[in-house]
Amino acid sequence: MTLLKREEWQGFVRDVDWTPTYVDYEAIYPEWHCGTGKVPREAWQGWEESYKVSYPEYVATQREKESSTYAVKAALQRSNTFQNLDEGWKSATKMHFGGVALVEYAAVLGELKMARFGLNGSWRNMATFGQLDEMRHAQITTFFGHEFVGQDAQYDWTQKTFHTNDWVPIALRNLFDGMITSPNVVDLAIELPFTFETGFTNLQFIALSADALESGDVNFANMISSIQTDEARHSQQGGPTMEILVEHDPVRAQWVIDKSFWGSARAFAALTGPAMDYYTPLEHRKQSYREFMEEWIIDQYIHTIEDYGLKKPWYWDEFITGLDTWHHGLHMGLWYWRPTTWWRPKAGVSKDERAWLASKYPNWENVYGDKWDVMIDQVNANNVEATLPETLPWLCSTCHLPCCNATPSRNGEWKVRTWQLDYDGKKYHFCTNACRQIFWKDRDNINHETLIDRFLAGQIQPMDVGGILNYMGMTPDTMGDDPDYGAWTRDYVGRAVEGLAAATVQVATQ
Amino acid sequence: MTQSQETVELGPEDRAPELVPLNAIFATDFVQILVPVTTADTMTEVAAAVAHHVEGKRVRARPYEKVVIHNGRVVPAEMTVAEAGIAPFDHIAVEYLIPKGAS
Repeated sequence: MTLLKREEWQGFVRDVDWTPTYVDYEAIYPEWHCGTGKVPREAWQGWEESYKVSYPEYVATQREKESSTYAVKAALQRSNTFQNLDEGWKSATKMHFGGVALVEYAAVLGELKMARFGLNGSWRNMATFGQLDEMRHAQITTFFGHEFVGQDAQYDWTQKTFHTNDWVPIALRNLFDGMITSPNVVDLAIELPFTFETGFTNLQFIALSADALESGDVNFANMISSIQTDEARHSQQGGPTMEILVEHDPVRAQWVIDKSFWGSARAFAALTGPAMDYYTPLEHRKQSYREFMEEWIIDQYIHTIEDYGLKKPWYWDEFITGLDTWHHGLHMGLWYWRPTTWWRPKAGVSKDERAWLASKYPNWENVYGDKWDVMIDQVNANNVEATLPETLPWLCSTCHLPCCNATPSRNGEWKVRTWQLDYDGKKYHFCTNACRQIFWKDRDNINHETLIDRFLAGQIQPMDVGGILNYMGMTPDTMGDDPDYGAWTRDYVGRAVEGLAAATVQVATQ
Repeated sequence: MTQSQETVELGPEDRAPELVPLNAIFATDFVQILVPVTTADTMTEVAAAVAHHVEGKRVRARPYEKVVIHNGRVVPAEMTVAEAGIAPFDHIAVEYLIPKGAS
């Protein structure tokens, strides 16, 4: 029997569908999962992916990708590459492994939801490939991180992170439950493939890949580049969904994309910003976080939403201003609360590093230099204890990240301001105006309790630093600490200091 | 014989101190923090409780009096949390009272 040519059958099989006669359409595609809303169901018949793929092609390509990625890994296993990597770069990879491995698994569930409830056969077909992609990503990320557990116990958090109540995975669970677990498939396709994967995974996978190669971590660069090739394909589920939604309900399209862009931007400021501007060794940095955001995220995002006839989000000015502050404040918070991290956050504020930061962010010294100077002087006074936390940072009720975004006052002083809301008998605090507005517009959605909420409700016992660290799953062997205090404080040894808190005097008792 | 059913409303100063968790920011610090105080604490004590986590640790200590700002007004130093009407989860700022002419 002669095989048909690809073009003779693909147009038919890619959108195979059925017309049900024994059950109602609504029973198979319930609105609460499908979320067609104001879009007439027949409008989804026009859904068409731009890059078409068949199952045999998919399998052949994926096999090739897997083979080459694991071949590089096997070759590098015999070298001492890992031992020679900078501690800062290792921390960037620990953040990535822990913060991403199980999010990839959550994405499997999202793709499966679209594979079941997507409103067109070709959409369901694409999502079926998408869930296979995400399964591969969960596996490859977990496997690559696992290799290092024997050499450094912090890599155990590759798998452990999302099984703990550490504040970082709580923030990420809140984001991805909102983006993947709870939405109907129309919103999901706008939030995950359209906004997060088309926009933001570029940041994690292209920027970090470049920094990985510069830092000599070929294995990591190879892994995330391999993942990115899948993202580029399955993220295209967002485009056709957006086209149809914009045509029938532009207000909803604008709201869903605005909300998910903001949440993604906040998370990346915490995870990618410090990795690019502080953890990557100075000589290996390709671009600042702000430069990368401007080139790869902002320009592309604006073009994309304008192509669909949408507007810039209402919070645009606040977002652009935040490119100079969010990740610097979050970096300081991650460093100060370092016992709550599963990596070794390096401060990265030696004189040379500060000169680089000031060249990329002209206000950096004005806003952050004075705080780092006090901590530097405390380390040089042999009082590291003063640089360790005795309470919690206040966590935003929308993004669950510390409220640490300074804005300028009329007198030129930069201050962190309160954005609060009294609602339903409770007082909420937010890190930004947009986080407060998103909470208000989305208040009927289920939100996770922040770590502050849990602590004040008595869920964390005993109510002290030890109790909090235990609740977060922190153990002494994996708890974060600065990898090299001298690296960023020795430039300042011997300078005159004043205004330091005294060291706690330990008095031995008989 | 009947007993008087009259009840007496106790003032804040007569009640046992209760815990009041606050959202606080100290001067030019980079982050809001959780600071637990009690209804019986004076503003001087509240300012000290907030300063304990920041002053000389992230913000250089200055030789000036510290004041508590709640709902946009400076609360008198001797006033207690209960008297000032500061409730759980409220936001307060602690600032140095810098004399005119001082840098």
